[in-house]
Amino acid sequence: MADENWKPKIIAIICNWCSYAGADLAGGARIQYPPDIRAIRVMCTGRIDPLFILKAFQDGADGVLVSGCHFGDCHYLEGNFKAAKRMFLLKSVLKNIGLDDKRLRMTFVSASEGAKWGSVMTDVIKTINELGPSPLKEFAR
Amino acid sequence: MSKNKHQYAFFLGCIAPNRYPGIEAAAIRTSKNVGIDLLPLKGASCCPAPGAFGSIDLNVWYAMAARNVVLAEQMGMDIALVCNGCYKSIWEVNHKLKHNDELRDGVNEVLKEIDMEFKGSVDVWHLAELYYDPEIVGVKKIADSIKRPLTGARIAVHYGCHLMKPGKERHFGDTENPMWIEELVAALGAEPVQYRNKMQCCGAGGGVRGYDLAHALDITNEKMINMRDVGVDAVTEVCPFCQLQFDRGQIEIKEKFGAEYGIPVLHYNELLGLAQGMSPDELALDLHAIDVEPFLKKIL
Amino acid sequence: MAEVKKNEEPRIGVFVCHCGTNIAGSIDVKAVMEYARTLPNVIVADDYQYMCSTPGQNKIAEAIAEQKLTGVVVAACSPRLHEPTFRNATKAGGLNPFRFEMANIREQNSWVHMHQPEEATAKAKDAVRIAVAKASLLEDLVPKSVPVEKAAMVVGGGVGGMQAALDLANAGIKTYLVEKSPTIGGRMSQLDKTFPTLDCSQCILTPKMVDVYRNEGIELLTYTEVEAVEGYIGNFDVTLRKKARGVITPAEAEARGIVGGGCTGCGDCVDVCPVIKPNPFELGMAPRKAVYIYHPQVSPLIYTVDFDACVKCGLCVEACGEKKAIDLEMKDELMTVKVGTVVLATGYDIFPIEKKFEWGYKNYDNVITSLEFERLICASGPTGGHLIRPSDGATPKRVAFVLCAGSRDNTGVGKPYCSRFCCMYSLKHAHQIIEKIPGVVPYIFYMDIRSFGKMYEEFYYRIQDEGAKFIRGRVANILEDPVTKNLHVNAEDTLLGRPIDMEVDLVVLAAAIEPSAETEKTRRLFGVSCSQDGWLLEAHPKLNPCGTTTAGVYLAGVCQGPKDIPDTVAQAEGAASAASIPIHRGEVELEPYFAQCMEEKCAGCGLCVNQCPYGALALVEKDGRTVMQVTEAKCKGCGTCGGFCPGGAIWMQHFATPQIVAQIDAFLLGGEQ
Ligand SMILES: Cc1cc2nc3c(=O)[nH]c(=O)nc-3n(C[C@H](O)[C@H](O)[C@H](O)COP(=O)(O)OP(=O)(O)OC[C@H]3O[C@@H](n4cnc5c(N)ncnc54)[C@H](O)[C@@H]3O)c2cc1C
Ligand code: SF4
Ligand code: SF4
Ligand code: FES
Repeated sequence: MADENWKPKIIAIICNWCSYAGADLAGGARIQYPPDIRAIRVMCTGRIDPLFILKAFQDGADGVLVSGCHFGDCHYLEGNFKAAKRMFLLKSVLKNIGLDDKRLRMTFVSASEGAKWGSVMTDVIKTINELGPSPLKEFAR
Repeated sequence: MSKNKHQYAFFLGCIAPNRYPGIEAAAIRTSKNVGIDLLPLKGASCCPAPGAFGSIDLNVWYAMAARNVVLAEQMGMDIALVCNGCYKSIWEVNHKLKHNDELRDGVNEVLKEIDMEFKGSVDVWHLAELYYDPEIVGVKKIADSIKRPLTGARIAVHYGCHLMKPGKERHFGDTENPMWIEELVAALGAEPVQYRNKMQCCGAGGGVRGYDLAHALDITNEKMINMRDVGVDAVTEVCPFCQLQFDRGQIEIKEKFGAEYGIPVLHYNELLGLAQGMSPDELALDLHAIDVEPFLKKIL
Repeated sequence: MAEVKKNEEPRIGVFVCHCGTNIAGSIDVKAVMEYARTLPNVIVADDYQYMCSTPGQNKIAEAIAEQKLTGVVVAACSPRLHEPTFRNATKAGGLNPFRFEMANIREQNSWVHMHQPEEATAKAKDAVRIAVAKASLLEDLVPKSVPVEKAAMVVGGGVGGMQAALDLANAGIKTYLVEKSPTIGGRMSQLDKTFPTLDCSQCILTPKMVDVYRNEGIELLTYTEVEAVEGYIGNFDVTLRKKARGVITPAEAEARGIVGGGCTGCGDCVDVCPVIKPNPFELGMAPRKAVYIYHPQVSPLIYTVDFDACVKCGLCVEACGEKKAIDLEMKDELMTVKVGTVVLATGYDIFPIEKKFEWGYKNYDNVITSLEFERLICASGPTGGHLIRPSDGATPKRVAFVLCAGSRDNTGVGKPYCSRFCCMYSLKHAHQIIEKIPGVVPYIFYMDIRSFGKMYEEFYYRIQDEGAKFIRGRVANILEDPVTKNLHVNAEDTLLGRPIDMEVDLVVLAAAIEPSAETEKTRRLFGVSCSQDGWLLEAHPKLNPCGTTTAGVYLAGVCQGPKDIPDTVAQAEGAASAASIPIHRGEVELEPYFAQCMEEKCAGCGLCVNQCPYGALALVEKDGRTVMQVTEAKCKGCGTCGGFCPGGAIWMQHFATPQIVAQIDAFLLGGEQ
């Protein structure tokens, strides 16, 4: 079933204050990374309902990245702690339904870490490429 | 994981047994007195010398050093040794192979031919650092083992390059102004003396002695001047090759530059042996090029 | 009240920007625009060279009016840059500004995929599709206006903080100046002269300190730290800890009913105090007592008891007598003040240069830092202005200055950045010793001399002419001669291409600087980000260097990055001006990203209540059942509750679940599969 033309579909849900700003900084610095990720901006990773992520997988996403501020740096004090807890739980759910939990990743990239954003992008895409298409792909639609 | 912290495979090296057998004798006896057992590492080869081998073919250096480590792995023991050159080879190759999978696979490819495999299961220590480590021996235990304090002896310490550097990889902290061997010397009742440019090379290492003796002696001469200027009774080190360079080197310096220093050169284990009561004969001190007698007179 | 609102039939306009070649260089803008036309709900799509220009913005306004648009999408740069611009354009066209959505195809696309035009174009199409999906579900929102407290706070009383406080107070704003040490003045009061004019630092600083002290608009709170911060722009509630100082001011004395009492700064207590400690102001090179002032020009001139050292013998209380200024039982006090805006000016500390083992600081007596040099050359310093060698008190004749000591250092031990003022102050130091010590030779070991400011390069030439020797080379190591305590400086002279070993009497390390010790704690309290090396992060490196991403909090001086006094003062004036704007306007608009309870879905379980870090949620009884209620004034719109509610009963304005799910679906299910 390995499709020669398969390109990973990865969605990133990232917070406005740190990771989105870090991603913008990577742009300003012209840091080059592979183009397979599409980002959605929320104010804080705390906004991310685990159901969003399940929905993305159900829609056929091959990977999901959640990225926020470093612990202690959340613009709203502790949204990222709450998010991390949820992602942790969600990862075990994913494992239980037979999805490799490496398909969901949470990272912490600050507004000044443009270069780090570039390497996170590269690394996530590499991981998903290694894992191949999501087994849930057929459920999409 | 729970390795015996008081039992080690003793890697002898070449220079100690061939030039200064007293170092070997001292190491085994003095360590026993502070609760460390050194067991022979049977079948060991040259470390091999980091400068001589490393500058010609790194792969040979890796493979030979790795083979020595594997011998210890087979004994299930960490390695202890008494020479900075050996430390550079065996500690560093062990460290590199543990942290670089690619290199390790390459070396294991070679070792396969003699049915060996590097597993990365042991660590490598200089005996001096075991002496200093309070969890293994510690300065206090060294001081307690002394029967004949070296009172009044002014001693310059030479650390040697391969022990402490490159500082980024090693674990000794301050590599520019270390004082821990001084602490070990003070534990013997002697007075460690600071001199200019303490961390300068002895002149021998890195293949310099083999390649360009005149240049090597130039460096040694500078060190001897700096030690003489502060007035010392002896210089101590933890490396037979440094010892050779200071000891024989003083004779060669006399021939080349006409300068005479007459500073006895003793490995820390030899000093410790004396302080623990070993006789000069047991330590084969008569094999030293620079007469140790004046120093002995002062302390005995 | 809020429900899943059904929009009227969405009519979306899409505008794709070329941004010159910034976007069009790697993205086929026309193709993206053509693609937008094929998307559901899109009524009109257009492209333009510079969407943010006036004609670009006009296009949006015109299209809204002509096509009766319900939503606008601009595919261009980052919303963090131009969302406000295009919201205004949307508003100008007669549409609610929150009907606007931006697709970032520059910072997160064309600039990071410069060599993959096809993939970049495909990604831009996806981004537009995602944005259109969200725009189709956007609703009218009204920003909330809140009144702004007519008071400001400045944290840090160095020259930067003092300037900011003076400007704010002189603009008619009540200003709290919070300084953690017993006096204002900061590092500048430790300096002797200042480059390049060589005016005496204290002479130009002391009048300012007096101004601050006398200014009726400034409430000076020394020996005070920020303990907690609540609220947001316009209404910060800041809790301060007034550390127990052991000494009361005349005003405090009056409040306690002690007539004519309180500290007059006479210093009678010092004479009798038996405890001796090193004076941190003199970097430990001079003593002080357990009851002390840093130096004679402190402001306020009030003594302080160091309770860690005090033995409570009570001799000082006796000596103080009728003034009754000393209270050895004093305890820390907490106070809360309300301010509209805040300026942070927490300055810097000297990097612990002993970590660079090779230069032997703290090992060798005659290796000192530049700040120690400032104290030793200063007439009011511990040696009365005589530069001496610490080992023997002799006057040095050969002095080496090691520049970039720990700065521009990529070994992982020091700091990668340039500390920016060490070149200039080392030139100043060279001048000072030439002036004071006949026959002295300063040797300056440098990598580059960075004399970038007004009259700085001229100053550099002047010092060259005065006879300072410049050696271009980084110092490899410094060795002490154990007998003479002279130092051998080893370096490579990279102009002559040869190694040098220079014997000198004294080495002065121009040590790197780092953010001051409590900067990290303070910035977290105010929710301000920092850059990788710990300096506080400005909102935009070029266009908003005084602001932060936290509305209402501004930056002044070195806390934002190394800068000399002129730059510190300039930034402080900028920060003060920025901080006064919301106060003078009297109200600010908060983005209306509030949580709302969809009562018909709310089960009244109350699980969300603990999720909110601001305590904005509570359960209430309504029409005979329990439902959650949001206090809008407390909600900051993070959405943490909305991401949690098991019943999906929380509507996050502008980031509502259907809007986000529409974005996810648009990416994964829309487009060419
Ligand atoms: C050796 C040397 C020589 C120099 N010479 C010159 C010169 O000749 N000319 C020149 O232009 N510049 C010179 N400088 C630079 C100058 O010192 C700085 O530009 C200036 O001091 C910066 O002022 P600031 O207010 O930003 O910070 P600082 O002077 O560091 O003041 C910060 C203040 O904030 C307080 N503070 C810190 N944290 C907190 C907190 N959490 N809560 C409350 N208060 C806090 C501190 O106690 C301090 O009072 C020199 C620097 C050095 C090291
Ligand atoms: S100002 Fe000069 S000495 Fe200081 S770090 Fe920058 S270049 Fe180096
Ligand atoms: S969005 Fe929810 S959790 Fe966040 S501040 Fe508002 S009420 Fe609290
Ligand atoms: S604002 Fe970035 S994770 Fe909360």
